[in-house]
Amino acid sequence: MDKVVACQTCGLVQEVDDVPKGAVVKCARCNFQIFHRRVASRTRTMAFTLAAAVLYFPSNLYPIVTAEYQGQFTQTTIFQGIRSLWHDGQYFIGSLVFCTSLLTPALKILGLLFITLTLDWPRFQKTRAWIYKIIRLIDPWNMLEVFLLAICVSMVEMGEVATVHPGRGVFSFAAVVVLTLLATLTFDSRLLWDTPAEKKHYE
Amino acid sequence: MSETIHRLPKAKIQKDALSWFFWTLPVAAVALCAWFLLHDFVFAGPTITVYFQDAQGLQAQNSMLKYRGIRIGDVESLKLTKNGQTVSVKVKLDHSAAEVARAGSTFWIVRPQLKLGAISGLQTIVSGSYITVQPGTGPRTNVFNGVAEAPIVPIPGVNITLLANNLDSLENQSGVFYRGVQVGEVTGLHLDENARFVVVDARIRQEYAPLVRADSQFWNAGGINAHVGLFTGLQITAESASTLVSGGIAFATPVNYGPAATNGSIFALNEKPDPKWQNWNPYVPLVQAPEMSRTNSSMPQIGSQIGK
Repeated sequence: MDKVVACQTCGLVQEVDDVPKGAVVKCARCNFQIFHRRVASRTRTMAFTLAAAVLYFPSNLYPIVTAEYQGQFTQTTIFQGIRSLWHDGQYFIGSLVFCTSLLTPALKILGLLFITLTLDWPRFQKTRAWIYKIIRLIDPWNMLEVFLLAICVSMVEMGEVATVHPGRGVFSFAAVVVLTLLATLTFDSRLLWDTPAEKKHYE
Repeated sequence: MSETIHRLPKAKIQKDALSWFFWTLPVAAVALCAWFLLHDFVFAGPTITVYFQDAQGLQAQNSMLKYRGIRIGDVESLKLTKNGQTVSVKVKLDHSAAEVARAGSTFWIVRPQLKLGAISGLQTIVSGSYITVQPGTGPRTNVFNGVAEAPIVPIPGVNITLLANNLDSLENQSGVFYRGVQVGEVTGLHLDENARFVVVDARIRQEYAPLVRADSQFWNAGGINAHVGLFTGLQITAESASTLVSGGIAFATPVNYGPAATNGSIFALNEKPDPKWQNWNPYVPLVQAPEMSRTNSSMPQIGSQIGK
């Protein structure tokens, strides 16, 4: 059975034959990909999420900044930063940083891992939809950490007086942010309510 | 409707060649973590423990170990030992500085010091104290006993001992002068075992060693010598500006001098010079210091041809 589709890029109307699993459709004119489902959504999301989960550990265990001040030298991890904010009485900022940089990436990674790993089971269908809603809810807060980092760097950038080097933690952290972002982007939420036959075809 | 005219183009169907690429991301993440761990555990320098009597000025996670002015390690923790007598300082060395962890290395803490005649460690007033090291050459070890003060750098020279009735203004590292030129320094001060003399250890630098003879006369040149005479008026003399505050020793050698002093020679340290000694004016051929006698073969010698 042939289908007629229009290319999303150049608008050419063309016929598409049956697409076997593990293949992609390219436009006859502009060679861009034509899809009505995200390609290999489950595999890609899982790959991104796994990479983010692995890098979550160095991002929290290694210092995000190494500051050298007049020969004194300090290394700060994200958790130490939160603790010192809390000790300074900055409870609101402290809990905000905790939520955006420790809690939400962890929840997001765990949630995406749960969804992608249990997708074949008919049992947790409701739970998966519920988790996906939460992920969509906390996603904008996840972005906040980028801004927080920018603020931190501008605060400690003191030129001649102190030298601030980014630590290993901050690179891993940036990678976690980007990877979780891509993981939600590549995830096709229609997988959540597909019938088993559809799932076989599209995952 | 004619099918041949309205035939639509067919989309191309290709194999999905891109998806495998996404699996390189978790693999790369694992590789990155492995690299971090490798750096931390395999390429990391050793952690050494230095015991100090007094760790004043050191801060855990903050103070550094410096050698030749650069950071080669960090202080990880400070702990009082079980008997409460010493402080154990754990220092994590950089990989490149692992050679420092050898028996015979001497560790001490650099603090600001304001002594009469000597100011040192001034930068530590703002930067905080740091540990520094003089590397040894023995076998590898990770436990050291720190010393309280910077050890005196062993410059080759002749070590002599002077016996004085009174220390006066002498102190460690006071100069030893010949005609007002510093030729050596005091390396140690203590009372002799019967407390009848002050024993002053001094070292004369190698290049000036021939000046010290068995019959040389030493006197205390510290402070100001004020001399009031009926016709000469008030005469004030001092060996040098630094001896005014930190004390010093001067000596003279007679014209018909005896054999050269050797390591461990003992002399009396007079309180005042005899005017006769100051008129002694012997010819003493000096050997050159090792650094100065080194000839640079690429330098043209005096009198040699350097061009046509």
